[in-house]
Amino acid sequence: MTLIHIEDLNKHFKILNRHQGLSGAIRDLFSSDFRLVKAVDGISYDIEAGEIIGYIGPNGAGKSTTIKMMTGILKPTSGEILVNGQPPYLNRIRQAQIMGVVFGQRTQLWWDLPVIESFKILKEIYRVDQKTFDAHMDLFNDLVGLGALFGQQVRTLSLGQRMLCDITASFLHDPQVVFLDEPTIGLDISVKAKIRTVIKELNKTRNTTIILTTHDLGDVEALCQRIIIIDKGRILYDGGIKKVNALFGAYRTLKLQIDDFSETTLETLQQKLGEQFSAESGITVAETEDHWTDVTIDQARTPLADVLSFVMGSFPVSDVRIVEISMEKVVRKVYDGALG
Amino acid sequence: MRKYLAILRGALMEGMAYRTGFFFIILGNIIYLCVAYFLWHSIYANTTTIHGLTFNETFIYISLGSTVFVLLKTYADWQIAHEIEDGTIAIYLTKPVDYQFYALFISLGSVLTTMAAITVPTLLMLTLVFHVTFSLGPGLLLFPVSLLLAFLISFFFDYVTGLLAFYAESIWGISTTKEILISILAGALVPLQFFPQAIQKVLLVLPFQAIYYTPLMLVTRPNQDGSILLSMLGIQVLWVVILFVLTRLFYNQAIKVLRVAGG
Repeated sequence: MTLIHIEDLNKHFKILNRHQGLSGAIRDLFSSDFRLVKAVDGISYDIEAGEIIGYIGPNGAGKSTTIKMMTGILKPTSGEILVNGQPPYLNRIRQAQIMGVVFGQRTQLWWDLPVIESFKILKEIYRVDQKTFDAHMDLFNDLVGLGALFGQQVRTLSLGQRMLCDITASFLHDPQVVFLDEPTIGLDISVKAKIRTVIKELNKTRNTTIILTTHDLGDVEALCQRIIIIDKGRILYDGGIKKVNALFGAYRTLKLQIDDFSETTLETLQQKLGEQFSAESGITVAETEDHWTDVTIDQARTPLADVLSFVMGSFPVSDVRIVEISMEKVVRKVYDGALG
Repeated sequence: MRKYLAILRGALMEGMAYRTGFFFIILGNIIYLCVAYFLWHSIYANTTTIHGLTFNETFIYISLGSTVFVLLKTYADWQIAHEIEDGTIAIYLTKPVDYQFYALFISLGSVLTTMAAITVPTLLMLTLVFHVTFSLGPGLLLFPVSLLLAFLISFFFDYVTGLLAFYAESIWGISTTKEILISILAGALVPLQFFPQAIQKVLLVLPFQAIYYTPLMLVTRPNQDGSILLSMLGIQVLWVVILFVLTRLFYNQAIKVLRVAGG
């Protein structure tokens, strides 16, 4: 069953071109010098019931704007958008009943009240009957041990606990679709893992469609079968996770701080790595921030450990960091035709 | 309706979380009452009535006026503006609730907590310490209804002020101006009788007097003719209806800024 249908969707904003200085500010008061920003520029896709979609892209790509259109907060400039067969911005209140929303940086919980009170209020807002409410609370308790948090004021929860409460709360009324906007932002690895398990579990037991926007490619890897990459308001990729996984899953960046860094260090490093590993090893070297050298490695072709031990043996390395490839790099690779 | 009662319940409980503030508000109000008492006492030193009001009537009006002012000051405008500015409003726009009713019931929760924690102690003070004697009459029975209507009208002004955050970067100036205008034009500072005749006539056809002057007069002069009392209440009801329609229309207009121009 198609739950969300989007066809040639556009959202354009008119933004005032501001001028510099005081005289500019006065001029702006009367200015009609607008420029058009195409936040969402002709996207189309269908989402089936029960899917978990990873909706990713760099900052300002148009993710949030699309989410806001799907939730009925924003009205599209043109194009068609149907959630469960209805345009979300018409009859907003009825549409709100079938969706749950979590904005990672905000909370729907009542700040000064014990956690359980927020759930009770949501129960009334969504007209959840007592039996369903009890059953769901039991389920949430099994999943995240919510019971232990019930008596605590929301303001005293840790960010991770609060997010677990927020996510489960958005499932309370058995919505058909849940939008999770950056649910793991600012959380440490162990909490992230827990949140992923919970999302996966809720998706499985309730067959809820989940649309997940994130900057963390680990979230996508762990949860989604399908991924939509968006940049500058356009869809770059829409398809299975496997192809994309090969792209970012295998890449790691080795950040090195080398003592006595000079102009020639980069060249020497490049040269030595070239001698040690074959041309098809997929290693690239670049200087990024001050005196940090980035060595990007494709783990499918060259083991990270080999490169690390080689570099450590040949250069005076004072500090090392290993980072996953960033969203921006993935998008750049997609542009470069990596997904063909 | 049940969903809004749940919201009201939440707002009441949140109100209780800030108990310590109440004490200072009561203290501030007492200081104001003392100053007002001696000020008006000396004004009435050589006369028994001013503009047809006795000292007792004026003091009831003034002291009750400041108490109702504290009661109706729910900061709903600030809260709404804050929710718009930081985007929290999106959370309520994705829930099956009407934003105006949501804001109304939050505000009502604040009024009810203030009533229990501040208004009742202040009224006790008035009778016990200042020996104010309230005259009895049918107007007293209408007072609670009138106060509720006054709250609604006051809320509508707060609501519109808050929604102006869609258009303005900050509502600080607008809110302060609104506050001063209402307290003067509504007769919260002095009874409308103290204004020149011509200005009184203008003020009586504006909605502001329905916030303070009407409920306060019901207590100050509860013995007036039944038809006069009811017509005062009728005018309040009329303003509630008119302002409700206007605020609905304004919301539909203001929300377009968000829907079309983005948040």
